[in-house]
Amino acid sequence: MAARARALFGLSAAAFLLSSCDGLGGISPIFPTPVSPNGEGIYALYVGISIPAIIIFIGVEVALLWVVLRYRRSRQPAGYVPPQIHGHTGLEVAWTVAPLVVVLVIAYFSFVELQRDFQPISNHQMLVVIRGHQFGWDYDYGNGVVVHQEGTLAGDVTPFVVPVNTVVKLQFQGTDVIHSWWVPAISGKTDAVPGYDNFSWLKINQVGSWRGECAELCGVGHGTMQIIVQAMSQSDYDQWVQKQLATQKASPSPSPSASPG
Amino acid sequence: MAATTVLPRPKAYDDTFFRPISIWLTTTDHKLIGIMYMVTGILSFLLAGIFALVIRLQLSQPNLSVVDAETYNQLISAHGVTMIFFFVTIFLTGIANYMVPIMIGARDMAFPRVNLLGFWLVPVSIILYYSGFFTGGALNAGWTGYAPLTEKAYQSHSLGVDFWALSLIVWAISGIMASTNFLTTIVALRAPGMKLTRLPLFVWAQISTSILLLVVGAPLAAAMILVEFDRQLGTQFFTTQGRPVLYQHLFWFFGHPEVYIMILPGFGMISEIVPVFARKPIFGYMTMVAALFGIVFLSMTVWAHHMFTVGMNTYVEGFFMIMTMLIAVPTGIKFFNWIATTWWGSVEFTVPMKFAWGFLATFLIGGITGVYLASVPVDTQLHQSYYVVAHLHYVLFGGSVFTIFAGLYYWFPKITGRMLSRKLGEWNFWTLFVGFNGTFLIMHTLGLEGMPRRIATYANPSWGTTNMIITVSSFLIAFSVLLFLINVVRSWYGGEIAGNDPWQGNTLEWATTSPPPPYNFERVPPIHSFMPLRDLREAGEVAAATAEPAKV
Repeated sequence: MAARARALFGLSAAAFLLSSCDGLGGISPIFPTPVSPNGEGIYALYVGISIPAIIIFIGVEVALLWVVLRYRRSRQPAGYVPPQIHGHTGLEVAWTVAPLVVVLVIAYFSFVELQRDFQPISNHQMLVVIRGHQFGWDYDYGNGVVVHQEGTLAGDVTPFVVPVNTVVKLQFQGTDVIHSWWVPAISGKTDAVPGYDNFSWLKINQVGSWRGECAELCGVGHGTMQIIVQAMSQSDYDQWVQKQLATQKASPSPSPSASPG
Repeated sequence: MAATTVLPRPKAYDDTFFRPISIWLTTTDHKLIGIMYMVTGILSFLLAGIFALVIRLQLSQPNLSVVDAETYNQLISAHGVTMIFFFVTIFLTGIANYMVPIMIGARDMAFPRVNLLGFWLVPVSIILYYSGFFTGGALNAGWTGYAPLTEKAYQSHSLGVDFWALSLIVWAISGIMASTNFLTTIVALRAPGMKLTRLPLFVWAQISTSILLLVVGAPLAAAMILVEFDRQLGTQFFTTQGRPVLYQHLFWFFGHPEVYIMILPGFGMISEIVPVFARKPIFGYMTMVAALFGIVFLSMTVWAHHMFTVGMNTYVEGFFMIMTMLIAVPTGIKFFNWIATTWWGSVEFTVPMKFAWGFLATFLIGGITGVYLASVPVDTQLHQSYYVVAHLHYVLFGGSVFTIFAGLYYWFPKITGRMLSRKLGEWNFWTLFVGFNGTFLIMHTLGLEGMPRRIATYANPSWGTTNMIITVSSFLIAFSVLLFLINVVRSWYGGEIAGNDPWQGNTLEWATTSPPPPYNFERVPPIHSFMPLRDLREAGEVAAATAEPAKV
């Protein structure tokens, strides 16, 4: 991860500007602080794109203000007839090539990040199958543990528990309509589409809980499909698994809350 | 110019507007059809705007229930469908219907009856869509109507989806008729001297728009027919057992070019307005035309950038990412050319020019956030969040709506013979500019913090204040639109008489009376450049002053 650290360091000035506002409820100009390497990659890319974006934004807005303030008719001498210029090949070529270079550079770094963090991985230490349904998520750990995260706005939903510093491969399946699993502090969203499996992964670097929501309109309960991901230390996680196995063996009926569908 | 008393109307005004209703219903005059298109568009704008206000009330605080989730889903769908299909596209078709034949020196569209039929399919389409509300509920899956949520298994209680699908099929047919008509008119009916290289840029924009709609209208209709097959004939194209993502490909092959169908005519209007009020010819006419066609081509190769989270091959995603980012290049050319047109100019900051500048200042933000969204990794965070809602409104409101207002203030004198009030227009502009940015600028941050779009309510208390600011600002937009309506009504009846050429325009529509007679021109003026009217004006003035006319 040295290259990633260097990239982050190089962008630190812009990152500082943006992240100094991080944590402001409702008006943050950047994502929550990422806790998984793929989220860090997206964060760094966002900061990187912001450098030319902010420069271009300020430059063009200033130019727009300048032309209408400086060249107002009231500021021009009486009877001023503007020069009748129809174009300038050099300038037109310049402002074709310059944006082209900028977007190609952005595309290059985006593509590198795409190849690095968005391929289905095979070096995972754990696999969880996540099934989206109207309206909630089921997390199948493959070892008999299944977490049912039924949607609600009345309180917190059942957390999806993972051990820290463990590469967890996420395998998404849709059982009815399309849903989209999104926890901004971890990474981007992945759709759970009926008919095929979709993949993502996470490797959370600290103990804690992070919130997310379903991001694809899936019916009346769409807004209730909250997500909580909880990362535990390996020993806490092992205890949690044992407890789950014991309770799930005791009550084989899987769903803890009444499902409307 | 300072007279505020009501002056007698020009005769053409009575000829145009005070006709029996039967003539309005059966006319094949492109100007009257254009007015009907525009009125239909504005009414749709008001209706969809009211939906937006209800949506904003519902979201103003956490855990509200102004409307229930099902109603909310129908409202967001109706807001999107009405704004996109029944307001922006329809209004722009109307203003082009009115202006294109006059600007090229023609007497009417090439197929006047097809024009009339095409227009009357629009109310049919609107009525079909709204019929859904009386059959147990209209479309409730967003304006994109993603399968399989639209399938019968999840919608058994209502026919809203069926009416939506039928409505869009009719709409697509209407759009194909209009596009064919525009292209034929522009190719075949240009006045003598109106070479392609002398076409006003608004007409070039209409050519590119028509090509796009002609290409992508049919795939939209095809997607809707397949949705209907699934729902009523039991096929499995997009069902849970079928291939839901295929629907997204078909829809966005239409849906992304549709964004450009809604903005290219606006680009055209800005390219007309900026040179007139800067008193300079457009900078880089040929690169402006080339940029239009660059956008036309690129816009048909980017549709899957709406689908970066469905799990495509990363090289396919990379292709769509690069094509999407490339659109920034022709758009950038247009921006720089508009700025260069104004440079060294003699700028009159009239209301149309203000709206043009409001467009440039806000559309820039939509363009820049578009590059963030094109980057696949960043898009997986921003997709389907309030960041996208903010982005698309910067493109469609900052873009299309500001250009529509610019065009309206610019051409209202030509269409009605009267000026819109400048004072009310200034108020209209500044309230809209502040209200618009107050509503949509901080929406970006909600998306960055994780608020998904299309949720009927939210539990997170830290989003409450931001949402309240947005809601309050949205009512400022509503107030601004009210000012606009007052301005239109007052000016239509008592506004200052415009005369033929109130702005000292460059193009042919300013050569005829305001409003123009049914046949448009007594005699089409000679055309020697892409600014025929300015040539005439200069020749006249210069001839009076000196013996040797100075040609540019």
